[in-house]
Amino acid sequence: MSKQNSRSIAASLATAACSLLGTSTVSPVQAQEEPGWDFNTALLYYGESDGRVQDFSLNVLANRAFVDDRILSLGLTVDSLTGATPSGALPFDGPQTFTRPSGKAVYTTSANEIPLDDSFLDTRVALTAGWAQPFARLYTFNAGVSASKEYDYVHIGGNAGLSRDFNKRNTTLSLGLAYAQDSLNPEGGTPVPLSPMLDVGDLSNRIGDQDKDVVDVVLGLTQVVNRNLLFQFNYSLSQSSGYLNDPFKFLSLVDPVSGDPVGHTPAPGVSGPSHEYRFESRPDERTKHSVYGQAKYYMSGKVLDLSYRYMTDDWEIDSHTLDARYRWPFGDKRYLEPHVRWYTQTAADFYRISLVDGAAPLEFASADYRLGEFDAITVGMKYGWKTRSDNEMSVRLEYYMQDGTAPSDQIIGNQAGRELYPDLDAIIAQFSYRF
Amino acid sequence: MCRSVTVGLSAVILCLTAAASGCTSMGVEPWERDVLAKEEMQLTTDPVEAGIDDHIYFSKEASSGGRGFGGGGCGCN
Repeated sequence: MSKQNSRSIAASLATAACSLLGTSTVSPVQAQEEPGWDFNTALLYYGESDGRVQDFSLNVLANRAFVDDRILSLGLTVDSLTGATPSGALPFDGPQTFTRPSGKAVYTTSANEIPLDDSFLDTRVALTAGWAQPFARLYTFNAGVSASKEYDYVHIGGNAGLSRDFNKRNTTLSLGLAYAQDSLNPEGGTPVPLSPMLDVGDLSNRIGDQDKDVVDVVLGLTQVVNRNLLFQFNYSLSQSSGYLNDPFKFLSLVDPVSGDPVGHTPAPGVSGPSHEYRFESRPDERTKHSVYGQAKYYMSGKVLDLSYRYMTDDWEIDSHTLDARYRWPFGDKRYLEPHVRWYTQTAADFYRISLVDGAAPLEFASADYRLGEFDAITVGMKYGWKTRSDNEMSVRLEYYMQDGTAPSDQIIGNQAGRELYPDLDAIIAQFSYRF
Repeated sequence: MCRSVTVGLSAVILCLTAAASGCTSMGVEPWERDVLAKEEMQLTTDPVEAGIDDHIYFSKEASSGGRGFGGGGCGCN
């Protein structure tokens, strides 16, 4: 068997065995593999405009194929993150000063600019290990573990999956289970939900480390339709519980008439916030349901890859995702692959652009733009080629854009005409080498 | 796990089983898998790139998973 075919099998099984974010579904294509290591590496740059998040990332996935289609997968990801991120506070026609998340200092943002928290600096290291092997002729079992560490965040997880082939291996049914336990320990402690941002040195609204658990179940059906067409259908259930807040996000407390932020005077001789802000509060449970369909169609060398996902959850967020890739080979060793992705989501039922001073207190509120209503588009192009030694290289460049909308019934007084939703523009650049 | 989730899961298992039964008329013979065995015809052609994309969109959108596990894994901003 050629190296390419061996790699193909390893790649398809690796996804099942290794990544927590990977599928638990095993490819319907079965073959004997050639023992050996296969390395899939990538360097990534992800950069948002306006000084927002920048990420340099190194990714390595090593697969070792053994006899009888057994695959060991080991993965490493190192992310270096810098930049600023929207805090949730509203822009205003004067400067705003905020206490840093550590509670040790303040930072100030300019008038009429969406406030960004620039204290975002982190290195993330993630490891995965997985094993997949067939048994009893028509079954494949896979299991994996994952762990990641950031300065203030630790994740550990495990997953297992079972699949069975039917109908001359043209149909595969699969079941995957994953459990993750994440721990948050931000510097200065996690803020009490809806508590006010306090002056420098005052940590009386902070509580200790917080945890969240995530349980995922994925049921999958893969079907070969004919020589040139196959599809996959997945149903996913995901249940999260525990501390689901982002400890760095907060909301402006605004005047009920003008819509401007309510002022705050720090204690004498102490630095502190210029206005009143409240830390966000999300429910401590979330249940998500997703259906996902994917089709791959081979057309005289060209391959069309289409997928669609619908997600709904008990935070009242619904989303639709459409993804299309078209692999267009030219010559024996090169191809171009244009990519388009379209995404839309509704807002969480507790999404608020601000909290109104004097109004009845809310149990849950968040101004995190990721919980708001927005559309997103990704357009990109990938160019891949084979080296003289038959290894594969590729480069891809993509542009990602989010365009959000602030709920009109929440806009008060002077807020009208201000930029209330932090739209996002980002570049994704990647170099991959497989050997 | 609440009752509605259990009922939903059971319904999906039934649907998948029914769909699998209906799929028996589709497919190819073992010797007709030349195209399906190609690397570019795997459902996930590049698992590293798929993982990168899942991580980016997990960090920037309220949805995750679908293709695989949605999971936790980072305190992404």
